[in-house]
Amino acid sequence: MKRRGRGVACMWYPIGFTVDANPSAAVVKVNEDGTATVLTGTVETGQGSLAVLGQIAAEALGIAAADVYLVSGDTDTTPMDTGAIASRTTYVTGNAIVRAAENAKAILFQTAAQMLQVAVTQLEARDRKIQVKGFPQHSVSIGDVAKRSQVVLGQPPIGSASWNPPTVAMDPETGQGKPFSTYVYATQIAEVDVDDETGEVDVLRIAAAHDCGTPINPMLVEGQIEGGISMGIGFALQEEMLFNADGRQMNPNLTNYIMPTSLDMPEIAVDIVANYDATGPFGAKGVGEPSLVPTAAAILNAIHDAVGVRITSLPATSTNSTSSCNGCGRRVRSTSRTRRSTRACRSTPTRRGTSP
Amino acid sequence: MADETKTLTRERIALGDLLRHADDKQKLPAAVPPKTVPVEPLVPQPGQQTLAVGQRVTRPDSRNHGLGQTKYIDDLTLPGMLYAKIKRAGIASARIVRIDTSAAEAVPGVMAVITASDIPVNSFGPTFQDQPVLVGDIVRHAGDGVAAVAAVTEQIAAEAVEKIVIEFEPLPAVFDPLEAMQEHAYKIHAPNSNIYASKVIRKGDVEKGFAQSDRIFEGQFTTQMVEHVPLEPHAAIADWDANDRLTVWATIGRITLARADLARTLTLPMSRVRLIGTIVGGNFGGKNEISQEPALALLSKKAGRPVKGVFTRSDEFISTTTRHPFVMNYKTGVTKDGRILARTVRLVLDGGAYCSWSATTLGKACILASGPYNIENLISEAFVVYTNKTMTGAMRGFGAPQVCFAYESQMDDIAKALGIDPIEIRLRNAFGEGAISPTGQSLHSVVVKESLLTAAERFGWEERP
Repeated sequence: MKRRGRGVACMWYPIGFTVDANPSAAVVKVNEDGTATVLTGTVETGQGSLAVLGQIAAEALGIAAADVYLVSGDTDTTPMDTGAIASRTTYVTGNAIVRAAENAKAILFQTAAQMLQVAVTQLEARDRKIQVKGFPQHSVSIGDVAKRSQVVLGQPPIGSASWNPPTVAMDPETGQGKPFSTYVYATQIAEVDVDDETGEVDVLRIAAAHDCGTPINPMLVEGQIEGGISMGIGFALQEEMLFNADGRQMNPNLTNYIMPTSLDMPEIAVDIVANYDATGPFGAKGVGEPSLVPTAAAILNAIHDAVGVRITSLPATSTNSTSSCNGCGRRVRSTSRTRRSTRACRSTPTRRGTSP
Repeated sequence: MADETKTLTRERIALGDLLRHADDKQKLPAAVPPKTVPVEPLVPQPGQQTLAVGQRVTRPDSRNHGLGQTKYIDDLTLPGMLYAKIKRAGIASARIVRIDTSAAEAVPGVMAVITASDIPVNSFGPTFQDQPVLVGDIVRHAGDGVAAVAAVTEQIAAEAVEKIVIEFEPLPAVFDPLEAMQEHAYKIHAPNSNIYASKVIRKGDVEKGFAQSDRIFEGQFTTQMVEHVPLEPHAAIADWDANDRLTVWATIGRITLARADLARTLTLPMSRVRLIGTIVGGNFGGKNEISQEPALALLSKKAGRPVKGVFTRSDEFISTTTRHPFVMNYKTGVTKDGRILARTVRLVLDGGAYCSWSATTLGKACILASGPYNIENLISEAFVVYTNKTMTGAMRGFGAPQVCFAYESQMDDIAKALGIDPIEIRLRNAFGEGAISPTGQSLHSVVVKESLLTAAERFGWEERP
């Protein structure tokens, strides 16, 4: 019989390195046609960081995201960056890009102030124009300003900057300090069906409410969360590297190392919790890693709610949990819907085979 | 029929979300110009300038991905390029007595073979430089590389690797992290202790906190080793040119550190190393440091031709970093109404054969281990130990998924024992704005409670009597 359960888990997660300096630098060049080129030493690792960083540069310059082209990931041509790690790209590299863009914009404003016959402080960049605050009809196009800066005044609008999150070293005895500049928070709630005869677990749906500060690109935030949940399901129910008694891996391949496929994905409802972090670029923090942190905990709490089994050892497979099932003989295990036939590989009693 | 309903619901939710976010973020700025010049805000506010932040902007790489035109390392070819394979030890703990590469070198098409003695500085690592590029003496896990071959085709390189003969003298091994912590355990990096990093956080007085508690809950939780499994395995091309300048194209997320490590292992001035980070086909923390790149560079130098190395899925599992297995002991004292008064946490991380990003993972796990909750009295201590297994390192979450599994499992046990709703008990303990973290930091932009309430509403959570 299938028993339904629900489980909640919440978490906190820091953005950036633990105490250690982790700066990013950036160069922003405004071209004569009003577009911009951003040089960044970070690398696109599939998460969509170049889209997000382009949006940040565009917002800072008052142009559209499509007007920004990014050059990334080359130690000869791009400024240093600590890299795509620690959920830091939007927050740290984003902050560097905002500052670099502000420096380029300052050059544009000097030129535009002459063109519009107003003080620099009266200007704002918006809708691909530099305009007088409150009087948007009194404006010049950013392209014209950039061209004039470069060709007439001899000041190409190029800005560079770097940013490093402020931290305070931790006391070695007590751990007291400020290891991270900021944190994000999240809750996920999972609903599962557990077959109390076969022990099969089916994750039906997950509600995920995540804080990332301002979502620079909500679509990419949702993508990160959905991907993280997939990874969390594998961690909770399926994935495990097995070693034999000699310390050699037994399943170093995707036939016997079971991980979730698209068919294992539950319904996911993502909410981005409204928040604004004044230390981040336009209020943004990050979302890359936190997306999977509460997933396994929520699923395991849902299994507990469904059948009263408290599994204390991941993954929640049959060999792992038969002993913990209140002596009732119920087995809890997960099944990959696409690879049910390979399940036998997971049932081998080798899970603790690494301990002599 | 049931499936149809499910699909429709999912579509409805997705569309609803899309419209809601789109509506919020796509509102146009007010059309009426203000009468007076507004005061410059301290920080730029989203939505008040040209719309870029908050937009569902299409990724600049999506069209290339969609049309299969993205160039990953495996899609790149340089004139005269060779293909490399690495010989793995295949034994978890041993001393290398002899390596004979002569048969491999004799295979037609093999252009270069290197071993540990060819590497100028045979150690690297982001925290401790305890990992050799190729092992020359002590094997510490079965995935250790021993020799590298470059040949005109990948097949010839694979064939040649099989002809390399290694004579081992087996050494004792230790695979269990708790056993490795003991005084008498075999020392994997002798003479150093197997415990290679630790961290402690102390706040308040836990003894007093436990004494004041109505109930005390204790539990041990363990987690497993998992792989990142990126679609694109580790891959790189090294080209050592006639000016002694090295260019490396690599699927790596941290080019600044990678260049420094490359320059160090090869004793090249940093200005002679150019590292180009190509589009990474999945990272998840597994591509945060160099792996085969120094070996590829030296093969290129020796052969005078560019050399490409692409890990097989097996290489990816046995020789790259993985997620730390944790052994976690939690003891928590609570009042009758579910408020946490004291908690002690002890974490033991299985570090595998080398440090990699273990010290960082340990630090984050130790800080995060108490959860997003106000706990006045806390001791959180963490240790990471060497074992003769695949090394563990950076992986999405850096220790947080492990401790979250423990603290949230125990939270539900506490809620159940006290008859409190799981959402309610979390709301009672959760950080609010200005909460003091375990390290004494005052937290800002805190929305734990908001996230709990939002998720509960979205899920349709109802308190059970």
